[in-house]
Amino acid sequence: MTPTGQPHAELDPRFAPPFPQAALPVLRNPQLRKNVAHAIDIIQAKRGRLVDEKDDWQQLRSAASAIRSHVLENLGAYLEEFEARCIAAGGHVYWATDAEEARRIILEILRQEQASEVIKIKTMTSAEIQLNPYLESNGVRVHETDLAEIILQLGEEPPSHIVVPALHVNRSQVREIFARKMGLPELSDDPQILTAAARNYLREKFLNVPTAIGGANFLIAETGGVAVVESEGNGRMCLTLPRTLITLAGIEKVLPRFDDLEVFLQLLARSATGERMNPYTSLWTGTVKGDGPERFHVVLLDNGRSRILRRPVERQTLKCIRCAACMNACPVYRQTGGHAYGSVYPGPIGAILTPQLQQLHHAQSLPFASSLCGACYEVCPVRINIPEVLLELRSQVTNQERGQTKRFLDLLYLGLRFANFLFASSRRFHLAQRIGRIGARLVTRKDGWIHSLPSIGGKWTQTRDLRGLPDETFHEWWANRKKEAQ
Amino acid sequence: MTATSSSRETILAAIRATTAATAKQAGWLDEAYQGLPRTYNRIGRLDRDASLNLLIERLREYGAGIAETTPEALPDAIAAQLASTGKRRFAAPAALPSNWLAPGFEWRVDNDLPTGEIEHCEGVLTAAAAAIADSGTIVLHHGPQEGRRLLTLLPDIHVCVLLASQVVETLPEYFRQCISPPELVTWISGPSATADIEMTRIKGVHGPRTLHVILARDN
Repeated sequence: MTPTGQPHAELDPRFAPPFPQAALPVLRNPQLRKNVAHAIDIIQAKRGRLVDEKDDWQQLRSAASAIRSHVLENLGAYLEEFEARCIAAGGHVYWATDAEEARRIILEILRQEQASEVIKIKTMTSAEIQLNPYLESNGVRVHETDLAEIILQLGEEPPSHIVVPALHVNRSQVREIFARKMGLPELSDDPQILTAAARNYLREKFLNVPTAIGGANFLIAETGGVAVVESEGNGRMCLTLPRTLITLAGIEKVLPRFDDLEVFLQLLARSATGERMNPYTSLWTGTVKGDGPERFHVVLLDNGRSRILRRPVERQTLKCIRCAACMNACPVYRQTGGHAYGSVYPGPIGAILTPQLQQLHHAQSLPFASSLCGACYEVCPVRINIPEVLLELRSQVTNQERGQTKRFLDLLYLGLRFANFLFASSRRFHLAQRIGRIGARLVTRKDGWIHSLPSIGGKWTQTRDLRGLPDETFHEWWANRKKEAQ
Repeated sequence: MTATSSSRETILAAIRATTAATAKQAGWLDEAYQGLPRTYNRIGRLDRDASLNLLIERLREYGAGIAETTPEALPDAIAAQLASTGKRRFAAPAALPSNWLAPGFEWRVDNDLPTGEIEHCEGVLTAAAAAIADSGTIVLHHGPQEGRRLLTLLPDIHVCVLLASQVVETLPEYFRQCISPPELVTWISGPSATADIEMTRIKGVHGPRTLHVILARDN
């Protein structure tokens, strides 16, 4: 989000270019690719070490998966329980069907509080509803307090990762942003010094701004409690110092009981940042006399989630606890970084979540932005079968496009229909193989490889080489072998 | 707000439509919940000494200071630890044992201290509710000896007294020993930190930049 109140169009699925197009500038930017690969290598190595030391990791994943599925199957009951407990503990609960309603509710609370500025804990859900530009355009100054979010806010950069949103920015770029925006021309690029600069910059805000907005990692139905997981202490500041606290949470965030945290707190930090436990986890229940905010508001956001819930294969998308392990493990994300996904949710989880939140109207290329290698499924702490959902979405996108005349005449679809015709009979298939071999000779180079194909085949060979076709097929070899034996 | 109350019905109806096929009896939900698989380790495997040593090792990894003592020598150990910080002005929750408030320091006892006064304290001394060895976690429930949340947040040094009997090996064991869910919890695993710039771990962003744990082996 930019301080001027304009949303980053490149992360709005309605306006963002399709994935292959958005990925190109990154692929041509070696500094950006180096920054992304460097950060991911470090997280991956730490995660791997800490997961290996847990001999019950798979059992924890199974428990987490079962708890999250159970919640989604009974979401109505658990949300009502959360609501009742939260109200009983002094909180106010609001329900928002979409982004616009959530923004309006939050602005209305701020107006009642006569708040002209707010401090914010990092929350991807607020980025999803583009809260900052909306508040800024309605005269409310927003101060992000997470170090990465400050870098992005001051540098007017869009986030590229859901846990480490500024991982595409290196230390000298951070130095440049801080020096310019905080008026500190002498600043060095030592991360220690840069962090201290952020601490000083924010201290006064924490002590003086009486209204905070944050997200939730977990809502506890049993108690009406809310848990926030963080590292820096900016979260604790925002949860403790202000008079009024507003929490924005997706409706899927609920857990049945306080005890369930014993599973998720073991999985989350290890998966997200490669730590046994993140430095600070806070849990609070409504308002507590003499400790923390006097007024507490929770906005429960649907924004397409109940629609996802209705679909048996895609429902598992909502099990997500936003750890980002899938993007760290993804060979595609590693090359492109987050901006190519055209959404605040990048990586494999973004590739399945974004199109669904958009009812497949935008972001049609995202389900195809994957090699289906399954690394995301393997690391997912709640066992979301991302490849399965990707395939389901691909078939939906294809079926949607199938009826369109434009697609009927498209070369790719003509080719596929022709292939269907060939593959339907073994005679036609063998004939096609013989003809294809003759054709292949024309494009195979001396080294036995095909480096470029004509027509739409050229899209394939733009980034890959193909081995030339062998002199005989397996069937031919088998038939000849029998003859020779006789 | 009428708008949101009708949104409430809209959202709940949309959710219910997905699960309408199975009409549920009262108590069904509880039974289904109880039947969820929990085959992960729910009890620790280490003996008491090994657990304490693991906690100490983890805290050292985080860069937290650690001092061991006995319950009898606790006041002296606290005084020595406070002195080693070189600071004088310390905050304390109202219900700390009076012999923990070592002489020679300026004590600000929290009987509704204004925020500005807490901000001006150089350090804070508190007890803890529990500790988890496996992850090196100190748990505060913000009771009368642990202080309200602000108290362990604004001062730059947190000196935390832990009794060995409060230490469990694993996170599930901590949850087992909570008799009822606390209203407020802060799980602290090392001093505040960030890795937002090039994944370089920097200790001390907004919370206390220094954490000292005094462990009293009371059994």
